[in-house]
Amino acid sequence: MSLNSLLKKIMGKPASKDVAKNRLKFALLTDKLDVKKETLKDLQKDLIEIISRYFEIDKDSISIDIQRSEECSALVFSSPIISANHNRGVPAAKIMPVHKSPANSV
Amino acid sequence: MDGKIIVVTSGKGGVGKTTITASIGAALALQGKRVAVVDMDIGLRNLDVVMGLENRIVFNIVDIIQGRCKIKQAAIKDRRIDNLYLIPASQSDDKNAIKPENMVWLCGKMRKEFDITLLDCPAGIEQGFRNSIVAADEAVVVCTPEVSAVRDADRIIGLLYAQSITPKLVVNRIVPKMVENGDMLSHEDVVEVLSVDLLGLIEMDEYVVVSTNTGTPLVLQEESKAGKALRRIALRLDGHPDLPIENPMIQKTFWKKLSSKFSRKN
Ligand SMILES: Nc1ncnc2c1ncn2[C@@H]1O[C@H](COP(=O)(O)OP(=O)(O)O)[C@@H](O)[C@H]1O
Ligand SMILES: [Mg+2]
Repeated sequence: MSLNSLLKKIMGKPASKDVAKNRLKFALLTDKLDVKKETLKDLQKDLIEIISRYFEIDKDSISIDIQRSEECSALVFSSPIISANHNRGVPAAKIMPVHKSPANSV
Repeated sequence: MDGKIIVVTSGKGGVGKTTITASIGAALALQGKRVAVVDMDIGLRNLDVVMGLENRIVFNIVDIIQGRCKIKQAAIKDRRIDNLYLIPASQSDDKNAIKPENMVWLCGKMRKEFDITLLDCPAGIEQGFRNSIVAADEAVVVCTPEVSAVRDADRIIGLLYAQSITPKLVVNRIVPKMVENGDMLSHEDVVEVLSVDLLGLIEMDEYVVVSTNTGTPLVLQEESKAGKALRRIALRLDGHPDLPIENPMIQKTFWKKLSSKFSRKN
């Protein structure tokens, strides 16, 4: 380490390469979160489908967004609930064989 | 056995792709391989002047693809190094003159004629880049220790993985004194951020400029540190993957060595 950089350290100034590295990490993170509008739309559709198995939701007031800040980034999904879906006790897969049984199918 | 196609790419321009393609090509040919270097920068060719072969161009890559000549007719033999050939880019066509399926065909032919074909990829991620990676077996990603170059390298690495190519990284234009002073990203920083395998480290070297001026191979300059690093990169790339990577360092005087020993743990 040179005298110059030692002095900088003593005066509490961060090395410029550390500044570079932090900026780089943040830039890469935001680059990767830069998703296409269609991707978010697809995700929203899938989420509605899954959530609807458990809750009755207001499909028109749903919002989905990626929020970024210096400290963290988050996927924010908000959906007003109208009521819990009480029919969910029997998983769809278990009902299927009954309908498929030969007795019912003709 | 079929030859390999290796693309040298970066995203950002001016980081050393052309210099590195010419040098690795020369080093591999000196190691006894039959090598072709291909300029993929249609409309903006450069590899020919870096290699000092600009006066000998008759046909180019677009001529091959459009059937106006054979590969053998377009390939220019190097003046100094046996077994080294250049396929120049066309200067008058635009990037759309070549399509990915043309490259698949051409690379198939190149594999039969050469042990190693190096593709000097243009900057950017458009057609020229797509053409360069479509038939590549391996990729060398070049970056400099700067925020913009590393960021672009990250993007390129993602696109290469999407093509099932595992890239290897070369960090070029390292200034050891600046790294030591904390004013330049170290190669460790770069590798940590990109999480990719390292192929080699090249320092900033005046010999690069001199050899480009004269169109002579950098790897023939015994005293050039960049030339030496590139010879090692060529070895690691072909047949000697375990050769240790040399870390560029300041030529230290006795007193500097002593003082850095004392301040090491800072
Ligand atoms: N290690 C190095 N030391 C000094 N100059 C270099 C080094 N590597 C590349 N250069 C110079 O940087 C410039 C850009 O290099 P080039 O190989 O043309 O980059 P690219 O093909 O990626 O655009 C050229 O002028 C070249 O001579
Ligand atoms: Mg170039």
